Amino acid sequence: MTEDTIKNLLQQADRAAGEPALVSIDLSAVRRNANRRQTINLAVRIVAAAVVVIALGIWSFSAKKTRDRQRIVALEMQIEQLRAQTDATLRLIREVLDEDRKQRRLNELQAQLASYTDPLEEIKKQVDKTAFILVYQANRMYRELDQKDAAIQAYNRVIEFFPQSRWAEEAQQRISEIQNEQTNNSKGDLI
Amino acid sequence: MAKTIDDELLVEKFSRGDETAFDRIVEGYSADIAVLANRLLGWPGEVEDIVQDVFLAAFLGLKKFRCECSLKTWLFTITINKCRSYRYRQMLNLRFFSKPAATTSATGASDVGKTLVDDETFRKVRHAVQALPLKYREPVILRYLQELSTDETARILDISKNVLQVRLSRARERLKRDLAELIG
Repeated sequence: MTEDTIKNLLQQADRAAGEPALVSIDLSAVRRNANRRQTINLAVRIVAAAVVVIALGIWSFSAKKTRDRQRIVALEMQIEQLRAQTDATLRLIREVLDEDRKQRRLNELQAQLASYTDPLEEIKKQVDKTAFILVYQANRMYRELDQKDAAIQAYNRVIEFFPQSRWAEEAQQRISEIQNEQTNNSKGDLI
Repeated sequence: MAKTIDDELLVEKFSRGDETAFDRIVEGYSADIAVLANRLLGWPGEVEDIVQDVFLAAFLGLKKFRCECSLKTWLFTITINKCRSYRYRQMLNLRFFSKPAATTSATGASDVGKTLVDDETFRKVRHAVQALPLKYREPVILRYLQELSTDETARILDISKNVLQVRLSRARERLKRDLAELIG
């Protein structure tokens, strides 16, 4: 069976079925339906656009909210860091101030200490003074009161109590003078 | 060619807001569309609703028509799509509500004087065409009954010419097999 045979057979069968019933198109109905569909399409587009706008609004609002939340969290972290830094700085300042106070107190104490005279020196002075007084009294006993023995006794006391002082040498020298003088006097008496 | 130029003028007029142009398009093509729909739906005889739907779709889409193909091709494409939707709806009705399909039973207005044997033969031929799968039935109707060119048929079905040839060949094979007992 060739293509043409099939085609002929099909066309004969088609013709045998006859033409469809006369179609009368209601153009006013077509226009009415078209207008209705266009209106519906427009309404659907408007609704869709409104939905999209609302969705975008909600999305941007939630995105903004999320962004705000993230910013708040970031700011809170920054504040926390700044607080920690401030605390550390305050601790450092407090330590520096304490150190400064201690240094000042130390300086004051050192100044105070520096203002005090050395007790050893004082004692030395007093010792020297005592030795001097004893030598002075011994000198008076010898020269003004002519109490040679008492004077020698006093000089010996100086030598005994203050052997390191210069007055001990002075006392020794006086004793030697007195003894020389006594020796010379006894020689003179003998002569 | 002259008809194509006329069509383009009508489309141009319609795009500018002249709705009488659409009336002329309906006058010019309603019969062709009715015949095509009748064949695609299995010769039911009553195709007014489909034709109305086709022109409604054309009215809504005509302003977007860019004359890349002829108006006839464009209208036939709409008709094919509307018939597919119609058959799909019928299939759903059949499936969910168990209504009998109305597409295969028609005998149409047979010519008086034809023999009963011829009537029976042609009824079987039409039935064989209806029994073809959609992808074979549409090319057969467009190419052999509507006598459109290969280019037009391929364009309407949105397939390549090679695919069209293959489908026609397979459709012929099936028809030969189904109609062998009739023709011998």
